[in-house]
Amino acid sequence: MKYAKKLIIGGMSAMSLGATVHLQADDTIRVGVIGPTTGVFSFFGEQQRMGVELAKEELAERLAELNLEVEFYDSQGDAETTVDRLRAMESRDDIDLVVGPVLGGTGLAGLEWAKSSGMPMVISYSAPEDITMRDRTENVVRAGWTGAQPMFAFGEYVAKELGHKRIVMVGQDYSFPYNQAGGFMKTFCRAGGESVERIWHPTGTSDYSSILATLPDGDAVLYNGAGSDGLAFFQQYHDFGIDARMPLLGGSNFFAVGNLPEMGERAIGGLSALQYAEGLETDTFLAFRDAFMAMHGEEVVPLAPAEHGYVAFKMAVNAFESANGDDRDAVIAALRETEMPDAPRGPFHLDEYGNPVQNIYVNEVQEVDGRLVNVPIETYENVSQFGPFDAEEYLAGDPDSRDFPPSDCSDPYYD
Amino acid sequence: MKREHLLIILILAALVAWPLLMGDYAVSQANRAMIYALAALSFSLLAGRLGWFSLCQTTFAGISGYTIAILGVRFGLPFPLVILLALLFTTLSAVIFGLLTLRSRQVSFLMLTLALGQMVWALSFQWVDVTGGYNGIAGVRMPVYGGLDLNDTHVFYGLIATVTVAIFLAVWRLYRSPFGLLLLGIQENEQRMRALGHPVYLARFTAFVLAGVIAGVAGVFLVYDMGIMSPSPLGLGHAVWVLTAAVLGGYRSLLGPALGVAVLIALETLVAQYTDRHMMVIGLVLLLSILLMPRGLADVFEQHFKRKSKPQASVTTTTRGKEP
Repeated sequence: MKYAKKLIIGGMSAMSLGATVHLQADDTIRVGVIGPTTGVFSFFGEQQRMGVELAKEELAERLAELNLEVEFYDSQGDAETTVDRLRAMESRDDIDLVVGPVLGGTGLAGLEWAKSSGMPMVISYSAPEDITMRDRTENVVRAGWTGAQPMFAFGEYVAKELGHKRIVMVGQDYSFPYNQAGGFMKTFCRAGGESVERIWHPTGTSDYSSILATLPDGDAVLYNGAGSDGLAFFQQYHDFGIDARMPLLGGSNFFAVGNLPEMGERAIGGLSALQYAEGLETDTFLAFRDAFMAMHGEEVVPLAPAEHGYVAFKMAVNAFESANGDDRDAVIAALRETEMPDAPRGPFHLDEYGNPVQNIYVNEVQEVDGRLVNVPIETYENVSQFGPFDAEEYLAGDPDSRDFPPSDCSDPYYD
Repeated sequence: MKREHLLIILILAALVAWPLLMGDYAVSQANRAMIYALAALSFSLLAGRLGWFSLCQTTFAGISGYTIAILGVRFGLPFPLVILLALLFTTLSAVIFGLLTLRSRQVSFLMLTLALGQMVWALSFQWVDVTGGYNGIAGVRMPVYGGLDLNDTHVFYGLIATVTVAIFLAVWRLYRSPFGLLLLGIQENEQRMRALGHPVYLARFTAFVLAGVIAGVAGVFLVYDMGIMSPSPLGLGHAVWVLTAAVLGGYRSLLGPALGVAVLIALETLVAQYTDRHMMVIGLVLLLSILLMPRGLADVFEQHFKRKSKPQASVTTTTRGKEP
């Protein structure tokens, strides 16, 4: 029976180990921040974390007043881990509000969890449009963007200001680029464009010679993707000399700061659009950038995920203040009323679906003080997640996909 | 009363006590642990009995999960029917995969299952019209029956625990049946088994399909636990995680895989609370335990158990297989 005794003792001690839950006093407000701080996408999660840390420092007095604490969680960029951590926040750590997740897939998994939990959630960088559209839920709002949002402005800009008629679009084959393409095409086609021919390639492609060798003719090429795929495409595009024939435009993340040093001078003049630009010159932005770099080091430029984390956290703090505590319904109501006249990226407010209505900047890569940065050259104010379209009509339409909306701008869909 | 019966009673008691004593989060962790224990059992059934290391057991779980998400959410088929169809479809996939891999062994089997698993993963990622691609399919929920919400963590725990215990008991019987011994025999000396007139290929094929179905059951619970089906559980990372858990716990024994999963999940949860470098800590623990306990945690318990007791066949023992 010795064996059995040991088993019982072992089992009991395992249980008591598990049972050491955080026994915390209830007058503390707790905010849980979740993002990928390890794994392939840790860059985005780290940016968010640094943004939240800056906001935490700036708001230190108000946080002390509210008795508000922050805890950070690692999603590992994985949907299942995200759901697990969210459950830990709710039932183990007594968290009152979630900031994050950061990535597309984890955002949707988080949304699904939030629907059944009712936890107030401020999604930061995660961009699938259905989070604040077809799958929206009362307790989830967003501090960032949808994939289509900046592209509504860019499509109009490319058709009207650049006068391009036919675009060849090469992109990564998954939902975020589909959404970017959809936003672009819906305004481009209605602003005088003729066609957008899409060529999709699997993510992780390093050799584009077969695509580049048979590239159809057009007025410009738009690379709808980012990361190492984007860098490889950029280099081979120039090696093939196609830049002399057609200029290269970018999706929102194509000319990302991390890739610019490797792209080098050839990137200068490159155009893309985003609700953010590290080359903004407004006072609020410069103050944010300088404080961020003073806190995290001169080499760490704050990018959109950092700003979105910073702003998401501020939205949460504002909501707790106007709700006068952590009453869930009051916090959610306050969140949905969010107005941010002084966000670093520019003023914004939430639409009735919970997504920011904000400035979109058309950015040009320029050399500033020996560094390549995205400098805004055109601002579209008050762009919503529905662009220029009516919300109800937009929601009644099909979601963007591989081959929707249609390539040919004369298609009846665009009437 | 035999010692193994005592062990079973203790495990059952712990499973009943867990939701009564522990908080919601611990219960949801136990749910995940049981789901992955089934996946790891499916892996071990092939690895421990046949010496076949498969990297596509999580793929079967994924196929089953996607079937439920697609039929349940997209086509709105009723709840018990989708589960039946999911298991049917998983069995069918296991039959196809089984036929494809039947004649391969060891490294070629590993590579074939890797290729098949990655193909299904890529399909789930790129066949957007059906699978929803990277975004996946959201809103996969169990129904509420007369006020009993099957999605409730504790109710869900009851469901998973019942099915998991039933499957482990069935596999226990299987391991001790002539069929289980035949599988071990094939691993030891295939030629001899064939010479004795045993249907070697049929036995291997049957084991492969059985393992696939067990993984399919894990997939059913996985998708309802998550509420969303996306390509991430089909990725290589999850397949390797299951392999790691099975090796850590000891894939030759019945309870080893479950033990490995429990230890890994407990480690991840506890260490991640304190540091972002939790992967390093877990890696170190794995390194040490594989160096010190090459046959897994369960084996250490067993050796201990045997020394204290009279020689007798135990629940979990199979000492015949060679070291990997």
